[in-house]
Amino acid sequence: MENILEVKNLSKKYPEFELKDVSFELPKGMIMGFIGENGAGKTTTIKSILNIIGNYKGEVKVFGLDNKKNEREIKEDIGVVLDDMFFPEILLPKDINNIMKDVYKNWDSDLYFKYLMDFNLPKDKQIKTYSKGMRKKLEIATSLSHHPKLLILDEPTSGLDPIARNEVIDIFRDFIQNEECGVLLSSHITSDLEHIADYITFINDGEIILSKTKDELIEQYGIVKCTESEFNKIDKQDYIKYKKTKYECELLVENKNEFKKKYNINTIDKISLEDLMVLMVKGEK
Amino acid sequence: MLGLIKKDFLMLKGNFKTWLILLFVYIVMAFQETTNLSFLLPFMCVVTMLSTFSYDSYNKWDAYVCSLPDGRKNSVRAKYIATLLLIFVTLLITTILTVIIDYYRTNAVNLESIVESIFGAIFATTLLQSIMYPAIYKYGVEKARIAIFIAVFGFALIGGVLSKYIDFESIIQGLAFLENYIMMIIPVIIVVMLYISYKIAETVYKRKEY
Repeated sequence: MENILEVKNLSKKYPEFELKDVSFELPKGMIMGFIGENGAGKTTTIKSILNIIGNYKGEVKVFGLDNKKNEREIKEDIGVVLDDMFFPEILLPKDINNIMKDVYKNWDSDLYFKYLMDFNLPKDKQIKTYSKGMRKKLEIATSLSHHPKLLILDEPTSGLDPIARNEVIDIFRDFIQNEECGVLLSSHITSDLEHIADYITFINDGEIILSKTKDELIEQYGIVKCTESEFNKIDKQDYIKYKKTKYECELLVENKNEFKKKYNINTIDKISLEDLMVLMVKGEK
Repeated sequence: MLGLIKKDFLMLKGNFKTWLILLFVYIVMAFQETTNLSFLLPFMCVVTMLSTFSYDSYNKWDAYVCSLPDGRKNSVRAKYIATLLLIFVTLLITTILTVIIDYYRTNAVNLESIVESIFGAIFATTLLQSIMYPAIYKYGVEKARIAIFIAVFGFALIGGVLSKYIDFESIIQGLAFLENYIMMIIPVIIVVMLYISYKIAETVYKRKEY
């Protein structure tokens, strides 16, 4: 399968934070959920892919092209929603159309105004009068209106109510119907990713600790619930992390079927992305 | 780049009423033949342009623009061009008005005085732009204001101290011969000043991480 985005050994050092050899691949026609706690390195990774920050080591290829050598060409086909970064709020949505038609070669004014209508966004009101959710929808409409092939979205559904989130997710789903396209979607709202993501990439403390298809994750990973005495009999290498509560122990296991065969413990729950995040970050080894 | 120039103009359209009032004040003053205020409107436009930096910064526009095609490359250029266009247009308006009012009042047009005031206005506005813009890109709007204030205060202080040891008056008198070439020198100074300022701002912007 051809990749639409390839990130190889991306490293970036700050005095208080470091991105360490971040690598992942997003095949065409897929949506990748990019998860991790606040400050884990999601936005830094996204900004590096887009060359918003420089001086990083490693290689980024978008559409098979180097993101630095072919920056202009690549950006013509990328739609972007960045967390809290957008047009100055004294502008009107119709101003954005005026500006963007001279920024993108493929800017489609009709499509842009159609999105505004679908999202119930007035085009003649200053952005500052919009609610947080409306602003987010405007950012999404803007990111989609030049017929991009790759969407890079940093927290695109934050601030949206469940109905609006559903609308937006449906739009991403429609977008991916074109198998030449792809979506990299960073989000804290893991339930959204459970609905639409094909791949999950998990970053923690600047390092990718997991990058797999969602199906693999759901089929193979599990949460074992057992008593402390049962826990004491389990080999360390058979679980990834564990968490002890007052009444039981929770273990994150990579292969729940093998675990079942080896130990006589039947309480193995299906994993949710939220459980995975919590146990990966907060669990002990 | 056209889109980014448009963005700055669209951000300024809310100031249109204020500029009309200033224009009215200018016309009244021009009729009363008080001091020459032809620099007022272009100068105010540059000052207003500075406010666009605050809005940009508040909404983290610089990070967003860097995600657009040629965004980083064109952002500084667009700001400089938008400002110069604004200076040019407002100066054109005030010059036309000055000519009309002059003619209405005296049945003659004092071309020499008008050209002098145009040059003066361009010099003052581009000087402000040339100093402020690189400082804003480097330090941000708020810190740049403080930095400029400290720089001006520092220069005044150094000048004051040096004046005790250096006879500035005789230096100025020695340079008096340049007065005949002032109309040629000022455009050169403006171009050089803007070029250096733009290059500094561009370098700062290219290196900056948003």
